[in-house]
This record gives sequence, structure tokens and C-alpha cells, in this order.
Amino acid sequence: MTYGEVGRRDQPEKPITILINGKKCMAREGEIVLSVALREGVAIPHLCYEASLEPYGGCRLCMVEATDHGRTSMTTACSLRATEGLEVCTDTPEVVKYRNVLFELYLAEAPKSETIKEMAARYGVTKTSFLKKIDIEDALGGKCVLCGLCVRVCTEIMGAGAINFINRGPYTVVNTPYFEANTDCLGCGACANVCPTHAIQIEDRNGERVLHSWGGIKIPLKRCSSCGKYYTPEALAVSVQNTLMPPIRSDLAGFCPACRAKKCADMEIRAHMKTEGEGNHV
Amino acid sequence: MDEKTLDEIISRYDSPSGRLLGILEEIQTSEGYIPRDVLEMLSVKLDVRLSQLYSLVTFYSFFSLKPIGEHVVTVCMGTACHVRGAAEILTTLEKLLGIERGTTQDGKYSVTTKDNKFTLEIARCFGACSIAPVIDIDGDLYGYTTPERLPEILEDYGWREP
Repeated sequence: MTYGEVGRRDQPEKPITILINGKKCMAREGEIVLSVALREGVAIPHLCYEASLEPYGGCRLCMVEATDHGRTSMTTACSLRATEGLEVCTDTPEVVKYRNVLFELYLAEAPKSETIKEMAARYGVTKTSFLKKIDIEDALGGKCVLCGLCVRVCTEIMGAGAINFINRGPYTVVNTPYFEANTDCLGCGACANVCPTHAIQIEDRNGERVLHSWGGIKIPLKRCSSCGKYYTPEALAVSVQNTLMPPIRSDLAGFCPACRAKKCADMEIRAHMKTEGEGNHV
Repeated sequence: MDEKTLDEIISRYDSPSGRLLGILEEIQTSEGYIPRDVLEMLSVKLDVRLSQLYSLVTFYSFFSLKPIGEHVVTVCMGTACHVRGAAEILTTLEKLLGIERGTTQDGKYSVTTKDNKFTLEIARCFGACSIAPVIDIDGDLYGYTTPERLPEILEDYGWREP
């Protein structure tokens, strides 16, 4: 069993106890410590963590001091897995020092992001001693902190891979290849949903979804064949319907979720009425 | 680069991991840059997203997305060359070649003259510090360079005073 497999669903999960800031917390063996802490109401700042994705450890904000079998080390809570007897501290002087520097760096990196300002202020950091020397024209309006969540969601979950990191070092940005509209994008908007700093601009207008941040990709929206409302991007509908097994019934395929639910309930009721007694109509 | 040549390059890399850079390197070497249509073709052939290929190509300074000139002049900006006046060499070359140092959006220093004859690049140490400051033209090293000597060197590559 490799490290990555610990605590996967197919493994028997042993309930264990870990200590977070001296508080006893129940956890499953191999569970991500950040997830345990959030469940227990222990606030740990984080930007790049998303439960449905593989651990990444990109933003470094969730740095904690962990003691396991007498050995203490600094590590990110989003990639640390729970083991019996693990002790975690989220506010030792070293963690605080580390975190404050990170907040200062983020304030310099994304000077226009209100989310970062608020988050940093909560931890007492209101100004930065760093200066961003290279200020590039940024399609994300100076709000991107390069946490990589949008890239990971687009690739790992949606399987689209429409966006990625471009360039290197202080010139790094996230965008589509050649900064142009591309056909890999499904228009799902997951990137904008996960973005911790709300940097990605997406707009639905006149029957199409426009992804302003990604080279102005335009994806036509699909209209519900029952109520006539636009409910999903066409490319996304096609991609989802291709993965459904068994496939969605052809008479329901063109319906929005609300109309589909209505139609299903309607069919259920009619079938039920039929078995109750022929000829009874509501 | 035509499809057949690309297929031939791909066929020489059978390992599924680590072949991307090898293939891209061969394209860069044979074309002098990574043409967009070749990158798009490669994406289809290998079933790798274009965004991933574009990410790789823009990460490494070895790759260029723009056609480079007939001759590539590389100025060493390493520590030894720097203290012996590499900055002055670079500004003189820019002046001689008629290149304006534009702020590039990708962080790579690579500028090509309008007539596509010269491309000016910078590097971090050729390992020839004993003859600093050094410039490299098409693989040939020129040591102990001075701004005064530059026109003479460039003339060997077809440069003429405007």
C-alpha cells in the first residue's frame, strides 16, 4: 500500500483520534488534516484546497506544525494525512511568522483582490513590504494568486484541459493557449466557481456564455424544450450526456433539471394512478 | 514542418512519459521555433491538450513561439560577464541591430530584427568566464568583446552599417 492509497474508499477506515491545538478530534485514518480541522471548526486559512481534488499544497497558507511519533515538522495541512496520535498546532510562533510572510506576498501578488485583503486582515496583515516589480497585463485583473484550482478542476474533474499555466516565474499567468478562444472549453464555469479570489469573469447573455477571462470564448447555451429557459452550455450538455450510462431517456434529454423533475414526478403519479384504478383522473 | 516529418519524429519516441520534451526539442531545432500548426497537430496526434503543450513551450526558454532570425546572437549575462560589462555589450548590440528592448509579456528575452536576419537573446553563463564578456553567434564564441569590436564581428554575418 503506497502513501497515496491510505484512506481510500476501498480500504477499511479505522476511526482514530488526532489532536488539533490540543483538542481531541475524531478522524478517519488517512483523512486530510485540513478537512478534519474545518469540520471541527478550527479555522486554517487556505486558497488552493478543494476536497474533490488530489492534494496539491500550492498556496502554502495552511501551514501547520505537526508532531508525529515525537518528530515535529512544518507541513501543509491540505496534504497531511491523519494517523493515530498525530498532534497539529495551527498557531505556534513559527506558523504565525510563516503565514504572515505569505499573506504579505499574496498582497503584493494580487493587489486588487478584496478576498486576499480581507483574509490577510483577519490574521492581522494589512500591508506588504514586497513590491511586484513585473506588472504584466493580466486577463484576470490583478486578482489571480496562481493557486492552480481552476487549472486542476478543468483538467482533473471536467477533463477539458482548456486552461493551463503559461510562462514562468514572475511572468506566470493562467489562460488558454495563445490567449485565444479554444474548443476544449465546455463552458461549465467550474473555474470561476472554485476561484478563491473571484478573478475569473464569466457572463451569460443573449443565449450564450461568454468567458471574458479566457480569450472571450463563446459557448451557446441550450434552451429547455419545455419551459424555454436557457439552462446549460451546449458543449457541457453533450459532454455530460456522453458519459451517462444508461443514457438519459430521449424524451427527457432536452429538458432543464426542473422540468425533468416535474415530468418524472408527473409520469410516476400517472403510473401510480393507473395501478390504483383505471379511469381515475386528477 | 509537414505531417510526415512530425510522424517520423513521434515514431522515434515510444515511451509514453517524458517524450513531449524530446519531440518539442526536435521541432524547435529543425524549424527554429515551434509553429502553431505543428503544435496543434502534435496535440491531436498525442492526445495531449493544447493547453498543456503551450504551457510547456512557454515555460522553457529553449522554445520559441516566434520564428527566429538567420543568425542568433546570444549575450552572456552571467556574473563574470556582467561585471566585465555585458550590459553595455547588450545595449550596443540593440543599437547596432536597430532593436528596441520591448518589455516582453513572457519574460523571455528574444528579439528579432525586422528583416529577420538577426535574433538577439541573453543567456546565463556559457561556462567561458575566463574570456568574459562573451557573446555567442550561431554557436561560435567571441571572448573579450568590447562595444567597439562588435560591428566588426557582426559584419562577418552579413551586417552592414545602416
